[in-house]
Amino acid sequence: MNNQRQPTTTASAPEPDVRERLIQDMQREIGRFQRLSSRGLWALSLFLLVCLIAWSDFPLFPLPDRVVAMLGRPPSPQVISIALLIYTFSALILSLSRMTMAMEHRSSFSHVGYLTGFFLFYHYARALDDNYWAVIGAGVTILGVESYRIWTYCNEAIAKRREDLEYVRKTGRLPPEG
Amino acid sequence: MFKTLAGRALVPVGLAVTGFVVVCCLLLYSAIRSGINRYAVAEATNLADTILKSAHYAMLKSDRETLATIIRNIGAQKGVEHVRIFNKRGVVNFSAKTDEINRQLDKKAEGCIACHSGQVPTTTLGTMEQARTFKNSSGKQVLAITAPIYNEPECFNAACHIHPPSQKVLGTLDIGLAQDSLASSLAIIRTQMIIFTLMTLALTIGGVTALLRRSVFLPMRRLRDFVERLNEGKGPMPENPPHLPLDLESIAWCHLRLVQKLNASKENGTKPE
Repeated sequence: MNNQRQPTTTASAPEPDVRERLIQDMQREIGRFQRLSSRGLWALSLFLLVCLIAWSDFPLFPLPDRVVAMLGRPPSPQVISIALLIYTFSALILSLSRMTMAMEHRSSFSHVGYLTGFFLFYHYARALDDNYWAVIGAGVTILGVESYRIWTYCNEAIAKRREDLEYVRKTGRLPPEG
Repeated sequence: MFKTLAGRALVPVGLAVTGFVVVCCLLLYSAIRSGINRYAVAEATNLADTILKSAHYAMLKSDRETLATIIRNIGAQKGVEHVRIFNKRGVVNFSAKTDEINRQLDKKAEGCIACHSGQVPTTTLGTMEQARTFKNSSGKQVLAITAPIYNEPECFNAACHIHPPSQKVLGTLDIGLAQDSLASSLAIIRTQMIIFTLMTLALTIGGVTALLRRSVFLPMRRLRDFVERLNEGKGPMPENPPHLPLDLESIAWCHLRLVQKLNASKENGTKPE
């Protein structure tokens, strides 16, 4: 076991206001991660709201006939289903790889946007009844994995920051890196 | 659950695999149902065209008795829920059900609205637009086809009727076919897909869980138990750690040597190096 340590230079004790500033910065960081940890759940709630609107056939949106007349024919339901499959697979792979690398990436609300797009495409292709539950399944899966990823990342970051805060309170300086 | 290694390893894998397999099955079932429905509509449209061709001569000769017999015989066929011919004014001229004859149909009814939605009725429809599904009065799922009877040169040149050439559609054949066998086939396919999905999920998640438990979690628990026993100092000092995978065995050896050095220095009354 290697017991040799690098000699540390002794510095003078930092002033109280520097220590207080460090403590406040760390507490702000902890608060930020606490707010971030529930981001996934907010995105899931927003997605469920979109699902309810889709269940009612998008009451405030223009009718499919008008949209088709303006924009032309939508893609066929088979093409939309293939796109949904590829999107679900890619999103899951991306989320799992971010989980592996412990990346702080806030992507939940963008998925709600993409899934709303799929609902609308199926609605205008008049195939929403047949594929409604598939979009919900994809959404719950992707947003569930994302929520879990963000929640575990934030929990680990909060635990680390709390350890650092304890160190700062005792010594008045930041802990060594690593 | 999320504090343990097992929970952290298995939850995201389980959620991702389960969700993806379920989504695939839902999309596949939707595609199969759509394909089967399209096939059923094509077959029903073919049948409607066959009926019109069979009745063509009787209509040309204005042989109403033969035409009525044809319609009655078709209506008696198993699987045919209703069959009728109505004229351009929407009055039923021939039907397998005698109480429907001379009844006026509503142009806004399903099956009629596809052509009569605008001021000028549409004279041609795509195959899927000719079809509609509904539940009839006896609760049966019915696929109905609406096939227009077009005014051909033989018709407006015949001596019996006077159909001006400008009249494109003379009447409409409406035939309804029971969808019981289709519904039961779809139910069988749905059940088979659910069973397959459950088996796939059980195999995937069960396999991953079993492998992780065998290769990772059980050895880690043995390491944890060994380290806790060493720290508590219960029983004699072991000479070797338990048999573990290489990565964990090196950790166990390091901990064992550390505790042995600590004990030796306590006995000698010196500080450990």
